[in-house]
Amino acid sequence: MPSLQIDSVVKSYESFTAIKGVSFTAEPGEFVVMVGPSGCGKSTLLRSIAGLETITSGAIRIDGRDITHAEPSDRGVAMVFQNYALYPHMTVAENIGFALKMAGRPKTEIAAAVAKAAKILRIEEHLHKTPKQLSGGQKQRVAIGRAITRAPDVFLFDEPLSNLDAALRSQMRVELGRLHAELKATMVYVTHDQTEAMTMATRIVVMNAGRIEQVGAPLDLYNRPRNRFVAGFLGSPRMNFIKGRVVAAGGMGVTVQAEGLPMPIQLEIEPDADLPTIGDAVTLGLRAEMFGQGAPGEIAIPARVAVVEGLGRETLLYADAGDLKTFDSESQDGYLAAHRASQVMLRPGDPLTLSIDPAAFYLFDANDRTLRFPAVSA
Amino acid sequence: MTSRYRLVSIGLHLVMTVWTLFVLAPLCLMFVAAFKSQADIFTRPLGLPKTLTFAAFERAWGIGIGGFLFNSLVVTALSVTLIVVVSALAAYVLARASSRRMQALYLLIVAGFAVPVQSVLVPLYQFVSAAGLLNSQIAIVIPYAAYGIPFTTMLFYAFFLEFPRELEEAARLDGCSRFQVFWRIVLPLSGPVVASAAIFQAVFNWNEFILALMLLTETRVRTLPVGIYGLIGQYSADWPALMAGLAIATLPLLVVFVAAQRHFVRSMSGLGK
Ligand SMILES: Nc1ncnc2c1ncn2[C@@H]1O[C@H](COP(=O)(O)OP(=O)(O)OP(=O)(O)O)[C@@H](O)[C@H]1O
Ligand SMILES: [Mg+2]
Repeated sequence: MPSLQIDSVVKSYESFTAIKGVSFTAEPGEFVVMVGPSGCGKSTLLRSIAGLETITSGAIRIDGRDITHAEPSDRGVAMVFQNYALYPHMTVAENIGFALKMAGRPKTEIAAAVAKAAKILRIEEHLHKTPKQLSGGQKQRVAIGRAITRAPDVFLFDEPLSNLDAALRSQMRVELGRLHAELKATMVYVTHDQTEAMTMATRIVVMNAGRIEQVGAPLDLYNRPRNRFVAGFLGSPRMNFIKGRVVAAGGMGVTVQAEGLPMPIQLEIEPDADLPTIGDAVTLGLRAEMFGQGAPGEIAIPARVAVVEGLGRETLLYADAGDLKTFDSESQDGYLAAHRASQVMLRPGDPLTLSIDPAAFYLFDANDRTLRFPAVSA
Repeated sequence: MTSRYRLVSIGLHLVMTVWTLFVLAPLCLMFVAAFKSQADIFTRPLGLPKTLTFAAFERAWGIGIGGFLFNSLVVTALSVTLIVVVSALAAYVLARASSRRMQALYLLIVAGFAVPVQSVLVPLYQFVSAAGLLNSQIAIVIPYAAYGIPFTTMLFYAFFLEFPRELEEAARLDGCSRFQVFWRIVLPLSGPVVASAAIFQAVFNWNEFILALMLLTETRVRTLPVGIYGLIGQYSADWPALMAGLAIATLPLLVVFVAAQRHFVRSMSGLGK
């Protein structure tokens, strides 16, 4: 169970720097999930670890061994690609055993390793088939099998499940979790999928524009995002962001007038945050599931239902609350997203009262750094 | 709508039929004439042969068609092999290189495709003659290769550009060297493009006339097109034998073409995809 250490890695293409100095360490046996918007450099970083890209500066170490300039096959890493990348002219068994064959291992050893991987992944009955004869899920299992037989120090996954349908994806998610527990290997996993990130990761690395925004355990990141980017990126529907201005500040708290709220609200800020001054622009953040039930002390906002997404067990409402708008979501038209943990008999156009507990607000300063987190309700 | 579609379809079929007949007619005339007598060919040019004799084929064979056939086979096989091997390797390197210099090199190779044979006949003759290679198989194989490589490199280049990189990357992680990636992954999956390149060059070199005429002056080393041409003067044009010789020369290509036609068409539509 080796560790993987990324040390100030920079990767520049001719005119473009895709990775602008990234450092983190995956501890032995960790399942690190990298997330971030498209084009932020996740694949580039993964490919740099694999040795498929030459990094411009920095170092990569596995268990302290510097592999920055090692050949891809000498690094002790195996990679699973989004499009499976199975060799179409070889059978499943040949695909899985190819690395051992290239390493010049005896046939009996290869056969044993292939059989073992096939058993773990439950693809024994497909060993003689060619990739063309497999379904997407089976193909990805074969690709994972190919990684397993190499017994790598570090597994790298680049969106391995994104070509699969939802049902298969959740099944493979569970299997990958089982595989991780079984192999106890260090894994780095890139995905677009929030659910994959939240459920599989021991730690999540949030990347943006070639940099790491924050690293932490899934719930830590969700509850205590360091900045507005992480707060907006993790969570679906996206956190509601409301523009505001500081009208009073002192001690441990500030008073903020939010656009569209009838009254200013008082918020405590984190002890280690810098106290903003009067007149500063700030952003209030409210997660869709943090709307209140109409308890005393909450602010009632009259609104109108714009869109209802009934998901069966739960419901997502997009509400038009007049001047109270979320400002950075193009798809939402400024509508506030609210989550109800039940089925709701509402239709577009119906009136609705949103209830907001001021204590549920996140607060971000003008530079989008988090000033306060709401207390997590247990 | 459907009736209009049918009309267009019928029209297209008609055009194709006429075109096919137009292309096939000379071929058929050649095969038929090979069975006729000299007099018949001129008095009833479109008629069928009176008797079915292989006399013309025997005469053609008797004056050395067999030797020409052998020479053509050797020259074509050697030049096609050389062309495919060199072009595939070159195109792979060029398609995977990103440097400006390699791109310029590729442009130069493509430009070589535009040099007409006629313009270099004299210097080429001087080269080959100075090297003491006149009247040898090498003398003709090397110019054939030189002429085939630019086009074939383009063909392979287009194919390799489209080749899925992830397969190669997976192979690199699995422990393949660059050459092993090419040999074990890329080449086995390049069947269609190799086939079409080989057929294309085989047809071209099998039929090539001018260079062969210039560089192979002794009967001993002549290839089919030049050898058959030789029949005209020597035997005051024994037309049935000439036609029989041409028929013999055409048959191997027809067989190869029909056998590999599927590959060929697939690869040509989209230049090697
Ligand atoms: N060969 C290259 N030359 C120049 N720029 C490149 C090259 N490869 C990638 N890039 C750029 O580097 C950036 C990061 O790309 P990368 O593929 O790592 O993104 P990603 O985070 O994996 O995105 P996605 O989620 O869409 O897969 C992109 O802006 C991309 O345009
Ligand atoms: Mg990517």
